[in-house]
Amino acid sequence: MSNLNQRLKKMGNYASVSLVIIGICLIISEFFVHRHGEIKLEDFPVFPVIYGFSASVFIVVVGIGLRYLLMRKEDYYD
Amino acid sequence: MTNITPGLLMIVAAAFVPYLPHHIRQVFMLIAIGFSAVSLFAGEGVHWIIFVFGQELILHNADNLTLPFGIIFHIAATLNVIYGWHERRPMEHTAGLAYAGAAIAALHAGDLITLFIWWEATAITSVFLILASGTQRANNAAMRYLLVQVASGVMLLAGTCLYWKESGTIAFGAMELGSTGTWLIFLAFGIKAAFPFLNGWLQDAYPEATIIGTVMLSSFTTKLAIYAFARGFAGTEYLIWIGAVMTAFPVFFAVIENDLRRVLAYSLNNQLGFMIVAIGIGTELALNGAVAHAFAHILYKALLFMSIGSVMYRVGTAKATELGGLYKSMPLTMIFCIIGAMSISAFPLFSGFTAKAVIMKAVGYEGLIYVYLVLLAASAGVLHHSGIKIPYFTFFSHDSGLRPKEAPINMIIAMAVASVFCIGIGVMPTQFYQILPYELNYQPYDASHVVGQFQLVIFAMLAFTFLMRFGFYPPEISSTVLNSDWFYRKLAPRIGKPFLLIANKIGVGANAFLIKFTKQFISRISYIYQHPVTGPVTPGPAAIALITLLMCVLLLTNIF
Repeated sequence: MSNLNQRLKKMGNYASVSLVIIGICLIISEFFVHRHGEIKLEDFPVFPVIYGFSASVFIVVVGIGLRYLLMRKEDYYD
Repeated sequence: MTNITPGLLMIVAAAFVPYLPHHIRQVFMLIAIGFSAVSLFAGEGVHWIIFVFGQELILHNADNLTLPFGIIFHIAATLNVIYGWHERRPMEHTAGLAYAGAAIAALHAGDLITLFIWWEATAITSVFLILASGTQRANNAAMRYLLVQVASGVMLLAGTCLYWKESGTIAFGAMELGSTGTWLIFLAFGIKAAFPFLNGWLQDAYPEATIIGTVMLSSFTTKLAIYAFARGFAGTEYLIWIGAVMTAFPVFFAVIENDLRRVLAYSLNNQLGFMIVAIGIGTELALNGAVAHAFAHILYKALLFMSIGSVMYRVGTAKATELGGLYKSMPLTMIFCIIGAMSISAFPLFSGFTAKAVIMKAVGYEGLIYVYLVLLAASAGVLHHSGIKIPYFTFFSHDSGLRPKEAPINMIIAMAVASVFCIGIGVMPTQFYQILPYELNYQPYDASHVVGQFQLVIFAMLAFTFLMRFGFYPPEISSTVLNSDWFYRKLAPRIGKPFLLIANKIGVGANAFLIKFTKQFISRISYIYQHPVTGPVTPGPAAIALITLLMCVLLLTNIF
């Protein structure tokens, strides 16, 4: 494995860990900040956390499904 | 001087661009843009009218809606000149300057005929940005692009004529959907705004343009359509639903697309959806949101296209499968790309946050819960494909073995300026909101909103990390993802071909029959000519044919 690949992996690990820490901090902050949204549903505790995560997973899952339907060889139109 | 339509000077200047030496040309273009911008100071009102065939054409109309668009179009044109400074061939510069000029002039059209003229001018000038690529693939894409754009223009013209007939005016103002004329105009705008199923041209053509060309294209055409909707169809309810679909469905395509410039074209489409929703709502708050979003979007979208363009300039490809690990070779480009990515993802302190917040507020205020939820999910999607995918697969991911130089200095400068704008709009919302059409007393930075937004984006990022780590994320595959251009690139030929073959056969058959018939007719005449019944001499076959014809006429007139 090349040197750069190892560094990229390391950076990926750091990024993942810091994201998790930030995420936990954000959930904790819910107790200190009176968060309210533009619609009522948004006022539900940690709504953006749940919605952001699940929407992203949903998009990727549908994307994978779309591949079966819409993906063709690169020279499809040629 | 300020009476002249903004943009017109740029079009005139473009005619001289091919004849100027390289660096002088670039300076000349900047000066032309500067002089054109002077006309923006004309103030509100009608500044230039001409009379053609008894019609009053308003060439320069300025108001609170044209101004923000005029400003951002000039900024974008300036950035394009700097970004393309290294390019010595004049084709893209000429086309780009004229294209930007035509788009700016279109903003200031006070009537639909003037709008139509500039509408078509943007199509004709911009196609050269795709043709400049010089490949057969680009040529084909350019022709498809031109066909679609001109179709939009023709619909606009037809709609204008019908609208004139029914309402007696060609003034470009608020219209009510209902008649054929207004529907045609609506569709003409819709094609240029890349509505769902009318969007194929965008993802088809933009990634085929040259590196500078794509950056130029990303700024004007679609935002001109957004402006046209804001002026003509604000408050049209259909737009809310069309816009909501527009924000959602390109996201799925962007996730699986491999060509990063095409990914950006999808995300451009999704961003337009937010603006269309806001225009559909049509309140002052919503229109402010649409304009703010268009303004911020032009900058961060150009920045993203610029950064991917810089990478492409250095390594010759923008395909995710062939890129990776470039953060060390092109660190500045990486930083600018991430600024663009954070802006489009609406991170607090970046332009997308302050702009999108206004639209979300307007949607929430109207109580459109489902639309709100779709837009929120689409925001997470934007973060996914533009915020993470673009920088991740280009600069990180894995070592592609590529070790290019950093981008040329002119590209760095252009990206730096765009970045400053992106952050500036993000940290100074009050100043930014001042250029919007209506007064806006809104403060996006309160603890509640900031925390909520951070929760949304960080957990969307965590979802990406989670899917990536556990191998659920779809790997990049070099492929073609079918889009709505499939209908005219594959389906129409497939259905049309048998019909054309049958028509061709009928044509060939009819032709053969006609030839046979004519030959027989001539041979009959020659037979009569050579065997005269009347005695001495007949004048010739032509005379016989004529006599026969006259006889037929006589007979027919006798019968009827």
